[in-house]
Amino acid sequence: MTEPTMTCDQARDLAAGYVLGALDRSEEAAVRAHLATCDQPHPEFAELGSVVPALLELDESELVEPPAALRDRIMAAAAADLAARGGQTSTGQAEAAPSAERTIAFPDAADRAGRAERRAATRASRFDWALRIAAVVAIVAVGAWGLNLQGQLERARAFDQAVAAVVQAAGQPGAKTVILSQQQGQHGSGIAAVAADGSIVLAMQDLQATTGSQVYTAWVIVGSNAPVSIGDFDVDAGGARGFTGKPTPAPAGATVAVTLEANPGNTAPKGPIVSAGVATAPPGSNG
Amino acid sequence: MNESQSGPRGRSVSSGDDADRAVLALVTAGQLDALQELYDRYRVMAYSIAFRITTDTSLAEDVVQDAFLGVWRNASRYEDGRGSVKTWVLSIVHHRAVDAVRRRRPTTELPEREDVPPAALTLPDVWQEVSGNLDRAEIATALATLSDVQREAIELAYWGGLTQQEIAERTGAPLGTVKSRVRLGLLALRRALGGDDGPVEGLAGDVPS
Repeated sequence: MTEPTMTCDQARDLAAGYVLGALDRSEEAAVRAHLATCDQPHPEFAELGSVVPALLELDESELVEPPAALRDRIMAAAAADLAARGGQTSTGQAEAAPSAERTIAFPDAADRAGRAERRAATRASRFDWALRIAAVVAIVAVGAWGLNLQGQLERARAFDQAVAAVVQAAGQPGAKTVILSQQQGQHGSGIAAVAADGSIVLAMQDLQATTGSQVYTAWVIVGSNAPVSIGDFDVDAGGARGFTGKPTPAPAGATVAVTLEANPGNTAPKGPIVSAGVATAPPGSNG
Repeated sequence: MNESQSGPRGRSVSSGDDADRAVLALVTAGQLDALQELYDRYRVMAYSIAFRITTDTSLAEDVVQDAFLGVWRNASRYEDGRGSVKTWVLSIVHHRAVDAVRRRRPTTELPEREDVPPAALTLPDVWQEVSGNLDRAEIATALATLSDVQREAIELAYWGGLTQQEIAERTGAPLGTVKSRVRLGLLALRRALGGDDGPVEGLAGDVPS
């Protein structure tokens, strides 16, 4: 890596072949290594490469539907891969958490104070909430796929509409995404986007319908701070629900959780966490 | 079959790319449903590209599977601002398909690797496309502006999986000539597709016209 294996002129000479994939793979690797280490600009690669997406647009007469079984093969392989990774998520935090941790309770004030003391006492056991939730998120991810394999696609379709709003928000600059996974013994999972202004768009599915004065309440938890409510919503028998919470600071690593509450308007969670996840900045962003 | 997708004839439109990025972010986070969504968006294009290169249905299936597993494992390596998610995914398919046909060819430079498990996925670089909204008819028109030898060189390289050296051997043209044809062909395409038609520094200038 420290020794340049190719000159700029050689790289330029191979640029057209490179963007077309028409080099042998060792030559290609040498060009890639050059580009990765060269401090000179190489605009010719981007210029020539800008044409390649056009080549990928096949004529309609050339489009072929793959066999349906291919999807199952790919998804099974990906699920196996996920299991082999131990369900590790890209937050990179899951591996630090004990896998036996399956249920979560909100920390009360005493618990938080106690934890702060423990943290001060033994740094090695330092362990925050978002980490615990990340572990659960990871565990549940495999199970959630199993449910889909069994054909719960219809509900997923209703859910799609709520997802569209999330996707819209997630596409904005500075947005973060959250995958909410159902907690042990609970029902409900979904995704959320935290917009740059802090408003949080949720799309949930598989929630149990609310009855009477019951509501679901969405919360943001930053570090080991007290949970902040971002609003209440009810759910009908379909189980899917889109919801936009009031703006609340939710940096990457913050936890978004949904609880089932006996009544609306709580300022601290009383009911069980049904679903939770951690806010993650999209790849390629600086956040 | 999911009717809500854009369908086998579906082409990405630029508004789809934000959605793709959000889906890919979920893939990065290890969400299997998101991988399936991405697969359903691009399975037809992916499989069609793999089939066009390999001309073999079972090899094409293997290529698409490899490519989507590569996407699954490497989604975090997608770089925002360096081309669309669609181009990134399809470029991986293309790259894998070329690997597959080269491995199959008896004259390939890698015949002895036949029984070695596939190496870690090499991710092809992708670039911002010349035009946000590529229209097939426009592309066909642009391709028609190329000379026959330029078009042939690009065709053999991109869809035949041949290296420039192999194209030289196949067509009997010197390697330098093949390189020029490929390069001038790409520049002509770029011009025809409305990209900046100014000369690219260090590129067009040193090529005999």
